[in-house]
Amino acid sequence: MSTIPNQNLIQYQLQNGLRLMLKEIHTAPVTSTWIWYGIGSRNEQPGKTGLSHWVEHMQFKGTRKYSGEDIDNLVSRVGGYANAFTSPDWTTYFETMPSDHLRSTLELEADRMVNSRFDPDEVETERTVILSEREGSENYPEFRLDEAVQQRAFQAHPYRNEVLGSKDDLRATTRDDLYQHYRRYYQPSNAILCVAGDFSADQVRDDVEELFGGIPSMPVTTTIPIQEDSLNPGDLVEMEGPGEAHYLEVAWRCPAASDPDFFAYSILESVLSGPSSLNMFGSGSIGNRTSWLYQALVEEGQAVSVFGDLSANIDPGVYKVFTTIQPDGDPAAVLGIVDEQVARLKSRELSVTELERAIKQARALFAYGCDNITNHGFWMGYANSFSDYEWFTNYLPRLSAVTPSQVLSTARKYLREDQRVVGIYRARNSRGAA
Amino acid sequence: MNSAMPDSSSILRAEFNNNSTLLAYPNLTSPAVYFSGFMRPGAFTDPVEKRGLASFTTDMLMTGTKNLTFQKLHDKIESIGASLSIGTGHLSSTFFGQCLSEDLETIWNLLLEVLTQPSFTEKQFKRVRNQILTSIAVQNQDTAEMASQEFNRALYGAHPYANPSIGSAQSVAAIQLEDLRAFHKDNYGPDGLVMAFCGGIDPEKARQIFSRTLGNWQPGQKLSQAELPAFVPPTQAVRSHVALEDKAQSDVVIGVPAPKTLSRDFQVCSIGNTILGRYGMMGRIGKALREKNGLAYEVASYLGAGLGPTTWTIEAGVNPDNLEKAIDLLREELRKFINEPVTQNELEDVKAQALGRLPLSLESNAGIASMLVSIERYHYSLDHLKELPAIIESVSADEILDAAQRYWDLDKLIIASAGRAV
Repeated sequence: MSTIPNQNLIQYQLQNGLRLMLKEIHTAPVTSTWIWYGIGSRNEQPGKTGLSHWVEHMQFKGTRKYSGEDIDNLVSRVGGYANAFTSPDWTTYFETMPSDHLRSTLELEADRMVNSRFDPDEVETERTVILSEREGSENYPEFRLDEAVQQRAFQAHPYRNEVLGSKDDLRATTRDDLYQHYRRYYQPSNAILCVAGDFSADQVRDDVEELFGGIPSMPVTTTIPIQEDSLNPGDLVEMEGPGEAHYLEVAWRCPAASDPDFFAYSILESVLSGPSSLNMFGSGSIGNRTSWLYQALVEEGQAVSVFGDLSANIDPGVYKVFTTIQPDGDPAAVLGIVDEQVARLKSRELSVTELERAIKQARALFAYGCDNITNHGFWMGYANSFSDYEWFTNYLPRLSAVTPSQVLSTARKYLREDQRVVGIYRARNSRGAA
Repeated sequence: MNSAMPDSSSILRAEFNNNSTLLAYPNLTSPAVYFSGFMRPGAFTDPVEKRGLASFTTDMLMTGTKNLTFQKLHDKIESIGASLSIGTGHLSSTFFGQCLSEDLETIWNLLLEVLTQPSFTEKQFKRVRNQILTSIAVQNQDTAEMASQEFNRALYGAHPYANPSIGSAQSVAAIQLEDLRAFHKDNYGPDGLVMAFCGGIDPEKARQIFSRTLGNWQPGQKLSQAELPAFVPPTQAVRSHVALEDKAQSDVVIGVPAPKTLSRDFQVCSIGNTILGRYGMMGRIGKALREKNGLAYEVASYLGAGLGPTTWTIEAGVNPDNLEKAIDLLREELRKFINEPVTQNELEDVKAQALGRLPLSLESNAGIASMLVSIERYHYSLDHLKELPAIIESVSADEILDAAQRYWDLDKLIIASAGRAV
């Protein structure tokens, strides 16, 4: 079974190492251009956290050819939309545009691969903007709890660091730190350019050769962190603060996305906490009210919401379950119920019906994600950031091939009580005796 | 999907005997469908002492029917990878969902069942009440939410829009199960229900499915017919702050009443609003607050649309030490906005963006369905998208200045913030 055909896909590599992926889709007069750089917080050093994300911000501040305002206008004036994202594993920039403006986005991306200015005054302005971005997140207890849990889930691996960077590092970062980071990693050989939509592949290939082909590529030496397969036994993070609602977060190790275990893990997640969508835009979602944790926690009145998060990463990461607990609820009791449901998952094989249901949910999520061109552009680069495009096109067949015994062994391997981090945020103004 | 713009020749619009309406547009390349729509019950009729009644009733609809327990209902939806949600706003209730094309009839049948035969059990009543009360407790710690609620209280005064449709902890605690049953009986029916649909099913087939499901909903008793009370705009400026402990950032909302959505002023102000706080990196106020002064990551302006009164606001999140400075800078931008016409370059940029964005906003099934809902809600013609470019092109800088001066009365600004005590 493969519902994601890749016959239209054209892959090509320029002499300087830039990889090009093109997918013609002629359902709407729209193109989506994505450029992915193999640099994220995973490659950052202690004391220099947040560099990748800050560089991403600076890429909108201008080059010798384009001012920041020009970059805004290039996209906005034709009704396009653009944004950029930094993750632990990658940094990406995209523009979705009316198709007759595709070349202008290629010109922009070629230019800012090498010519961004990093004006010192703008570096200073952006420092406080990023601090403000971080402070906006810090307002939420869930963010503070999650950051603390993430730090405990990794001893030294940079997945422990928030992508935004620590406040201390953000205050100490210099313009030279940022510019060196940019020059070191924004190299053709460390990038994948993906274009999906209404265009002629031959024409775009020529344009890319013309615009990017002359950019020399320096060797990229990225710091590759040592994978961490285990967690500290019984690690517990406890916090307290204002408010009435309590929060519980439980994190277990999950395999790298390229690991064969990842597919059985996806089924396990779907059953336990509901299916996660890996799509980025307009993808829709499926509820989790029939998941085991929702049934045991929310339906039984022990918590008011629960959801899980399994992301596709280069290295082993964490699968997290987040729970919001009512003021008179008890996080310790909720944790006990989470443990019961995990024990249930580890005690027997899933039925064929349970397995088929998880597969149908995944098929629906993929169908939703493929109804817009921007997501097609996203998936080409995203799958390559941790594996290859075949990972995406073969996702459903590989999921369909998972057996009940594989789900059981995966649950037993990863969902261990001595291999998890528990985070509890207790609300001070709670009415109950949590 | 057709690459041409949806219009009267490609949109199917059908009215049914029960006074419901379907709008359908095909995207036969998609294996999935997306639908959204609205119906009558709204929160504005909630009694003062039981605010949150309409919203609570809606939340209960998805907890089971006479034939389906909570578990069975959601099993039917989730086992086919579908989604179905219902919510309540001040003026109406909305619903939306998504499924594989093959499952559309199943989902519309379920929607009909939850709307017509909710079970309203005691167990689910207690559980949902707990969820709502906790949501209110969470909102009470959210600086953006609290600034927004404080703003609405100050601007709307005695009007029902002054209060969040979810209600307060006190009013929700006063609602009984019988209140929900009565509200459902008096307010739910097919009269005025609108369904918009886009996806991998031929519109004629969608019409047939609708006629067998929601189009076949037989009205029961006559529904209550409340009128939205008139809105009296505030007569003086208000500055208020909600103090919350342990917050790294404060949020602020500055605003005024907006023009009526179905007016020429609204079209003019839409262009003006994009210049003020939407275009590129959030327009003029983004430039002032974020680009030049580094004070905020999030800052933007919003022009509300709706059939009732709406607001025109500027919203920002800033470090508590910079709150007053940010407000001063935003006032300064507003002063410029009402004293000088926008430049020709600004106007051309924003018009070009509005025209270019039309096809992009229709990139997905959800985008098309949302556009169809707007067409029906505001009684636009099915050729609205073809008519829009001429409307956009006709807006002048003088018109924007005139409208800005009439709506942004700086002596009557409502300013609400939340965060560290000031």
